[in-house]
Amino acid sequence: MDELEKLKIENEKLRKISENKSDVISITAHQLRTSLSALKWIFKMFIDGDVGKLSNEQSELAKKGFDSNERMLTLVNDLLTMNHTDEVEIHYEFKKMDILEIAEQTIFDFSGETNKKGIELIFLKPEAPLPLVSCDREMIRVVFQNLIENGIKYSHPGGKVFLSFSQKEKELQISVHDSGIGITNEDKESIFQKFYRAPNAIQKDNVGSGLGLFTTKNIVEKHGGKIWFENVDGGGTTFFVTLPIT
Amino acid sequence: MKKVLIIEDDGFLQGLEAGKLEKVGYQVITASSGQQAMKQIHEPEIGIILLDLMLPDFDGFELLQNIRKMETLKNVPVIVFSNLSEEKDVKRSKELGATDFLVKSNFTLEELVEHIKNIEK
Repeated sequence: MDELEKLKIENEKLRKISENKSDVISITAHQLRTSLSALKWIFKMFIDGDVGKLSNEQSELAKKGFDSNERMLTLVNDLLTMNHTDEVEIHYEFKKMDILEIAEQTIFDFSGETNKKGIELIFLKPEAPLPLVSCDREMIRVVFQNLIENGIKYSHPGGKVFLSFSQKEKELQISVHDSGIGITNEDKESIFQKFYRAPNAIQKDNVGSGLGLFTTKNIVEKHGGKIWFENVDGGGTTFFVTLPIT
Repeated sequence: MKKVLIIEDDGFLQGLEAGKLEKVGYQVITASSGQQAMKQIHEPEIGIILLDLMLPDFDGFELLQNIRKMETLKNVPVIVFSNLSEEKDVKRSKELGATDFLVKSNFTLEELVEHIKNIEK
């Protein structure tokens, strides 16, 4: 057996170990979510007085329990995302894909969330068809998910989040625009850093791990793309992502 | 109000879901496994189905496929209510005719009720 053959076998073994690890994380996260769902519902029943009126102190404790549980859920969700993104290059499966189709699929996931928060998610389809883009479908879905989720999370009730697409020469540009709290000048440099959360974001929603934009940037860059944002006059932010058309 | 069929193998979660829906006026029937669900789907006048995907005997996708084949249930809203959230699961559910895909841990029971009411409109 030559060296190359040996390396291939070793590589395959490592790939299998990584796959098993990933499966264990997925199953564990699912089980954790089930228990955390039960806790979430129970705390909410206490807070809402479904099982009898609570004293002020009891009510405060139940709210703290609910918030703490939400933080745990966010960590589990991030663990699931990291499980897919924190892997070596070999696990990115690049194929020619229709980005609009992936976007539509992701929007379907958010129907419950937008109804819940009274926010309209508007998908502006380009008039002309877009070229296919070489990408990893699951990873690009995470990009859409994180950007749309932020748009919804940091928008005010009744707000709108727009998702649009355009072709700029040899790049496909995706933009996610919201009319939310915006990003301050002080936070501009740090927004893509691991675990960073802007103070106004924490104030709006104290549940979050600061991994979303960090992960998103990593994925976009692994696709040879770029990500940046612009604040919008009158409030809100637009995130732009470009992906090369190959 | 409509009759809701809850297909959920976790007895505790099933009890909480059923209790909340009954409290706001829904009639609820339940199934804890795929086999039980296959019997319950023949109950008359089911208006909405809440479907968990991980069941002890067979998976929720198979069940969804069977539901959509039934003349009486082919147009009944089926909300997949699961803690799975990978794209392949969402995609498959949609392809098999799910009306919605909700991740349990993202919703409180009130929000679930609101969602069901919106679907009914």
